[in-house]
Amino acid sequence: MNLCTLAIQQFEPEPAQPADGALPGDLAIWIFILAEMLAFGVLFVVYAFTRVHNVELFNESQLTLSRTSGAINTLALITSSYCVVRAVSAIRRGASQGCANWLIGALLLGGVFVAIKMMEFHAKFAAGITLSTNTFYMFYLALTFFHFMHVLMGMVILACVILKARRGGYSRHDYVGVETGASFWHMVDLLWIILFPLVYIIH
Amino acid sequence: MKTDTFSTFIWLALVGLTITTWRIGETGLAGKGAMLALLVIALIKGQMVANYFMGVRHAYWGWRALVLVYFILVGGLIAAAYLMGVQ
Repeated sequence: MNLCTLAIQQFEPEPAQPADGALPGDLAIWIFILAEMLAFGVLFVVYAFTRVHNVELFNESQLTLSRTSGAINTLALITSSYCVVRAVSAIRRGASQGCANWLIGALLLGGVFVAIKMMEFHAKFAAGITLSTNTFYMFYLALTFFHFMHVLMGMVILACVILKARRGGYSRHDYVGVETGASFWHMVDLLWIILFPLVYIIH
Repeated sequence: MKTDTFSTFIWLALVGLTITTWRIGETGLAGKGAMLALLVIALIKGQMVANYFMGVRHAYWGWRALVLVYFILVGGLIAAAYLMGVQ
């Protein structure tokens, strides 16, 4: 690292914070986020109340899930969320390339989640487990697949933001698109934070 | 504290809480205490992601309250269902 780089870092301004009271990104994405969280929230509660009448079945079936895979996937999503936070911070300083690089990191970690989840689905299907095997697997497959689709959608959004950031399409004065994509990705993380202990651990 | 350093601190806390959740699962802890501990950890993690990663802490207080109410409501109903299953 040369002296010039050190000097630039020394005087690099702290990232600007959003205006007081406003949510980061486009308001439309927040309406979408709230709708998605409500839908998942209902499914989580329905899962819990369905379990009341099938406690033994749910506990036995849950033991066949890999808690380690679930935990690694949680770490992948949390770390990718952290990369997205750093990407937003970078663009607030006007660092387009830094923003794109952090988002590429987030995208790769999203890929790790997808790969592990696909291995998990493959193992279950290979064992002859389907939606109709029992009530627990119906919820497990439906909830995790529904979430999986959101991860894929989030990755497409991140890829679009990366392409625009690499072309210099965002600046320290115009980064609503980055914040909008970031908010959606954090929601994917937020939902998994509840889904993982609920379906994989609590018994 | 610089924003990026603070984000790193939050990320490390989230990693620590995730490992704690995984350890509780691996040791096979069950019952009311374990269930409540896991839901409280999920609540704390959710608040951390919403407030410090999503930036909800800078928003109008109603948004922060909405996210907190969501976690308390969903977590509370899950806890109520599990307690019904224990009885």
